[in-house]
Amino acid sequence: MSGRWQGLLPRWSAKLGFGLGIAGAIVLFGLIGPLLTGDPATIRDIGLTPPGGEHLLGTTVTGQDILAQLAHATRGSLLIGLLVGVMATVLSGVFGIVGAYAGGVLDEAFSLFSNVMLVIPGLPLVIVIAGFVPPDQRGTGTISLVLAITGWAAAARVLRAQTLSLRTRDYVAAARVSGERTWRVICVEILPNLLPILASQFVFAVVLAILSEAGLSFLGLGAANSSTLGTMLYYAQNGFALQREAWWWFVPPGLIIALFGGALALVNFSIDEIINPRLRDRARRERDVVAVEAEITPAEPDAVLTVRNLNVVYQSATPVHAVKDVSLTLRRGEILGLAGESGCGKTTLAYAINRLHRPPAEVTSGSVTFDGVDVLAMGPEELREFRWVRLSMVFQGAMNSLNPVTPIRAQLQDVLRTHRPSMSAPDREVRCAEVLRLVGVDPARLGAYPHELSGGMRQRVMIAMALLLDPQVMIMDEPTTALDVLVQREILNEIVRLRDQLRFAVVFITHDLPLLLELSDRIAVMRDGEVVEYATAEDMYLRPQHPYTRQLLASFPSLTGDAGALIT
Amino acid sequence: MGYYLRKLAFYLAALWAAVTLNFVIPRMLPGDPVDILMAKLQQRGGGVDPAARKAYETLLGTGGRDSVLQEYVSYLGNLLRGELGVSVSAFPAKVSDVIAGSLPWTIVLVGLSTLLSFLLGVGLGAVVGWKRGTWLDSLVPATTVLSAVPYFWLALILVALLSTGLGWFPLNGGYDVVLDPGWSGEFVGSAIYHGILPALTIVISSVGGWLLGMRNMMVSAMSEDYVLTARAKGLRDSRIMIRYAARNAVLPSVAGFAISLGFVVSGSIVTELVFSYPGIGSKLLQAVQNNDYALMQGIFLVITVAVLGANLVVDLVYGFIDARTRDRSVVS
Repeated sequence: MSGRWQGLLPRWSAKLGFGLGIAGAIVLFGLIGPLLTGDPATIRDIGLTPPGGEHLLGTTVTGQDILAQLAHATRGSLLIGLLVGVMATVLSGVFGIVGAYAGGVLDEAFSLFSNVMLVIPGLPLVIVIAGFVPPDQRGTGTISLVLAITGWAAAARVLRAQTLSLRTRDYVAAARVSGERTWRVICVEILPNLLPILASQFVFAVVLAILSEAGLSFLGLGAANSSTLGTMLYYAQNGFALQREAWWWFVPPGLIIALFGGALALVNFSIDEIINPRLRDRARRERDVVAVEAEITPAEPDAVLTVRNLNVVYQSATPVHAVKDVSLTLRRGEILGLAGESGCGKTTLAYAINRLHRPPAEVTSGSVTFDGVDVLAMGPEELREFRWVRLSMVFQGAMNSLNPVTPIRAQLQDVLRTHRPSMSAPDREVRCAEVLRLVGVDPARLGAYPHELSGGMRQRVMIAMALLLDPQVMIMDEPTTALDVLVQREILNEIVRLRDQLRFAVVFITHDLPLLLELSDRIAVMRDGEVVEYATAEDMYLRPQHPYTRQLLASFPSLTGDAGALIT
Repeated sequence: MGYYLRKLAFYLAALWAAVTLNFVIPRMLPGDPVDILMAKLQQRGGGVDPAARKAYETLLGTGGRDSVLQEYVSYLGNLLRGELGVSVSAFPAKVSDVIAGSLPWTIVLVGLSTLLSFLLGVGLGAVVGWKRGTWLDSLVPATTVLSAVPYFWLALILVALLSTGLGWFPLNGGYDVVLDPGWSGEFVGSAIYHGILPALTIVISSVGGWLLGMRNMMVSAMSEDYVLTARAKGLRDSRIMIRYAARNAVLPSVAGFAISLGFVVSGSIVTELVFSYPGIGSKLLQAVQNNDYALMQGIFLVITVAVLGANLVVDLVYGFIDARTRDRSVVS
């Protein structure tokens, strides 16, 4: 249980500390300030005294102490912020969470209502309502209620989206199936997971309420007999504070609102980082490779890609050594299989070869030599020109590897525009159609968006894209894993056929060792970042040396007896 | 097709809700607006015109003489004919004429500043997200504090510094009053000159919201597989940033336009007051201060219709820039 709650607490950071500090100081000022300062309404004959001496922040035009006014006004604004924040959060919870959880007609109705409330502009509505209510009936409660009613809808929409996704999670489904009461499921299973969002929406509602109230009061439409930062500004403006250069009267109330809002925004950043871990601060690292002295060992005569003693480390709080001393050689036209279970470092290795690994991953030592050129020593521009021209990649999730908002034509042509700038538009079109035909996709689909293609089609498009520039090497990272067996077989056949036809070399990464036995010329088996066995496919099949290899082979019993059946 | 029809239906529903809200509010709240209006009308020399009284009653309620349904039907009828009653604060002008005279000012000012702020915020947000981890990160908290500043406070400070202090800009108004409104170069120039400070206020106060939203989406988009593919393809950084990361990251900003537009419109109303700008926000406040309920109601409706219209346009644009939306046949 404690682990589950831990994830919901903000990580300590300078931003959070700073935000909480300022917001806390302002709240404290609003709570204790009115007790320490005198009566804010006392009129003295020292109008518009500048700050200093007895009146730390000076006086108003009627000689009232501004510090005392500020303390009371801060308290008034915070009270309204709190009232509205609570009411708006409850409203958004009812319309967002309950609707989404119940589903069906109720959800449709609540969602429509929230969306309508969202598009009707808030402040004009508040002004109209405040305009109809006679001033003597405009209390703090009325104003707060009106602000809450016009301010909950955006939060409800966010909560609804989140609840909809939570509702389908396994543990919630389990609780529902086991017959737990609805309110219990909502309170125990759903609410805790929504806490960060609720907190962030509450903070936002408080700031919005304080701002809106200030606007209303400034217009003279605020709560009667109330004292808020907005009414202070109203009196300052009507006392011509700025025209009389009495900045000490006009500036502090606005500054407190801005500081409080800014501080809570900083707190919200930290909450956002819980909701979306990708937003967490990360120091930018320009370097992906530690300066490595490449000892370019005389490569094997036919080698196109040589990896020597490569080490990749994730430089996190506890560094993870993901690739350990890996050495591999890829010969021209060869298919090199890279097998291992997920998390063994095979994908990290594949990315490091092309220097696509992201921080905090770092190549700490070793060399990658491509056709006699040291890849790890390339400058950014050199590396960019090397990519795809010499070495292209086909990624694991074809679903997400294509840009969802542009047609595939644009994504194919991008490559040609960048790497073949002199190619004419009709030639580009011809080339794109040509590669699509190579992988068995109708060129008419060039105008299609990724979501209009099936999973198999998308993977074929990716392969077509990888073929565009006739690279010498293609790295394929689990290219068929997400596909059904039939499509998988078709695509594998396609790859082998294209390799035979176009003579590129392939690094084929998969967890499926028996598949590699049929497909590859040589195979490397990886475990915990190390290559434990590296041999020809035949040797590995007939004479597996490492116990782990034998274990992997044994885990696919149905295929081992019938090698060759998958690739025809 | 389904997407556009659904959107259109939604905005019709929202419009109906707003019109009905406008009908219900004066009837639910305390006070006797019709009598107040008639008294005001008499002060202005309007006389006790039974027709005028009837028009106000249609708008604000007959106090139980007619059934609510009858009132509602004649209220809708008046709206359809564009009859919004007579304004008492601008007597004897009709509400529709007052609105027609002030609406263009607001649409140009708020429309242009919102567009500018959106482009600036989204552009900066894309760069800040892309260059994450550099000094540019400090722009995020800085602009967020700016968006927590009340619009009117910022406007008054700007006026004090730039108009009163340095004399760079006029104190208030929408144009130089010695000029005759029209399409002369001199007048348009004067209008632009007067509009700079109000526009600056709106842009400064609203740019932070766009920037933050875009920056966060940019950071998310940058860890998507399609950006990795784009890198592997050896594309130039500028192309990856714009065509791959930003192109996807901007979608939520466009989808969330409705929320942001609401804030901008709210802030602009108060900004107009500070600058005595001849727009619809100033007129709304003038109406409230003078208990000019008919004008109040009319302006609320017009603002709502304008906001709904802007949102509809944005939704249509969204369908255009994200092909997935158009094809989704089921309501998500």
